[in-house]
Amino acid sequence: MPFDQHGTPFEERLSADLRQAVDAFDTDRLALVTAGELRGRRRLLLRRRAAVAGGVASLALVGVGGALLGPGTGSSAHRDGASVGTGRHTATAAPTPSPVSGDQMIRTLEGLLPKGRFSKAEARGTNDRPGPYVQLVYDDGKGAAAISVGLGRVEPGSDEARATTECPRKVFVHYDACSTTRLTGGSVVMVLQGYEYPDRRVDTKWWSAELVTPEGHHVSVSEWNAAAEKGAPISRAEPPLSAAQLRKLAAAGAWRDAIDAMPPDTHKPAPQPTATADSVAIAPTLSSLLPKGVFKVSEDSGDDSGYGYLVLDDGKGKNFVQVNVQADMSDAEGDLFGSDAEVLADGTKVATHQVPSEKGGAGAVMWTVDTIRTDGRRVVIGELNSGAPNEDATRKTPALTMGQLREIALSPKWWL
Amino acid sequence: MRQARADEYAEFAAVRAGHLYRSACLLTAGDTHLAEDLVQETLGRLYVSWRRVARVENPAGYAQTVLMRTFLTHQRRRSSTERATDVLPDVPDDGAGRDMPLRLTLLEALARLPAKDRAVVVLRYWEDRSIEETAQAMNASSAAVRTRCVRALGRLRELLGEDLGEYARP
Repeated sequence: MPFDQHGTPFEERLSADLRQAVDAFDTDRLALVTAGELRGRRRLLLRRRAAVAGGVASLALVGVGGALLGPGTGSSAHRDGASVGTGRHTATAAPTPSPVSGDQMIRTLEGLLPKGRFSKAEARGTNDRPGPYVQLVYDDGKGAAAISVGLGRVEPGSDEARATTECPRKVFVHYDACSTTRLTGGSVVMVLQGYEYPDRRVDTKWWSAELVTPEGHHVSVSEWNAAAEKGAPISRAEPPLSAAQLRKLAAAGAWRDAIDAMPPDTHKPAPQPTATADSVAIAPTLSSLLPKGVFKVSEDSGDDSGYGYLVLDDGKGKNFVQVNVQADMSDAEGDLFGSDAEVLADGTKVATHQVPSEKGGAGAVMWTVDTIRTDGRRVVIGELNSGAPNEDATRKTPALTMGQLREIALSPKWWL
Repeated sequence: MRQARADEYAEFAAVRAGHLYRSACLLTAGDTHLAEDLVQETLGRLYVSWRRVARVENPAGYAQTVLMRTFLTHQRRRSSTERATDVLPDVPDDGAGRDMPLRLTLLEALARLPAKDRAVVVLRYWEDRSIEETAQAMNASSAAVRTRCVRALGRLRELLGEDLGEYARP
């Protein structure tokens, strides 16, 4: 949807009034800062206690000096930052096809449209930032109309993917028609027939199709009944392509090929180091990977990403299970995975360890499955037969078998 | 944390706390208790990762992003289906009683938006972030942010009237 409304009088007033409205909100800032720091200290302490105690941590420490201690406490902090770019793209496992140029984008769009006259074409190729795009003015003989196509990726199955293809409620946006269709192959496409200006101060019609494939391709097609999105006089009663034609245009295979040709990061802004929220939330993911109906979870680490844990019980005693997900640990691979590590068909290495828990209480053992993919992405899961690091064993061996730990560590769910 | 770094953090927190708090008040649509909680949690997270945060080009912007995600996480935990707060927001007394009608109106309208839509409004119109930046802060696609933005503006127009200024001011 290549239009940006920022700058309408309503928006300008909204901005101004928000500022005015918050002016009166103030609080004891010193108390806030003190309380915040306290929380930080507590958080740090908890992570250290959880991570340092087990064998997993000591393994990691060999190679990278504290990678498991969480953001900010180890020398590997920058790796978490890199995870923004590398951890989220699952649609690009195959070798990247050759890039598509802006000129090719224009030719593709012209080729897909019914016969007519084309002018004012502009485009970006798959290697250009912020991502491939083409727009032109099309005239089928009944009036010039702007048409544009934007390409990108969304995380398959995510809220974003759903929101992209869900018709907005009519009380929120004025439009004449909207429908969402599921195509053969599983793609979902929304066609919205609305207006360029939500307040209808000019009646320029803006029709768009938003298509998302199960692999996460996102194709966005727009057309107007004017030669430009904004500021051009209405040239015809309606945009040239019908809803069905829009749908078909969005579904053209050429767009998906172009998206496949995008380098993994062109559709995203430059990665910014982020503390916690860029990979999956560990505890809920771990929870979803447990055998169903066996365990009661009594404690979890919340929605933190990177590192998380669960305390679970199958009725025979508590277990502490922790997982660490790291974006690029390739430089520590040699230290973490010896020559005896198993190598899977796709190159993923798996190392397993069963050792006494270093700081654990009496009888506590730590079972570990460590995995690293060829691109450096690492998932390590460790399990104690006690309810917490430092506590005595509650049972002879941990509840999850090595096979179960392995299955959990190799799950693709960590990299959604 | 080493002393120099601890001092740096403390200074940053002291400078940013006010702004974070005000953002949080908008995000929570005037729930000042929740806003304080969110800011404390945000500062706590920043404390933990300060080594890295201090190296970021724009630590202030980064802090806002952490606040945003803390808020969204809070909302997600509270209820996956809840769309908006129905509780009348707390409104602080500014002493002179100025701007009260405006604040009430705006906050009430914000309170009636789904949490993510409210987040988009706060980022776009109070933080002045672009669609791209908003998408990044919310871990969403630009298209999703645009959709939310259009929807949120439509709803606010409906709640406040097209001429927001006329309606909101006494």
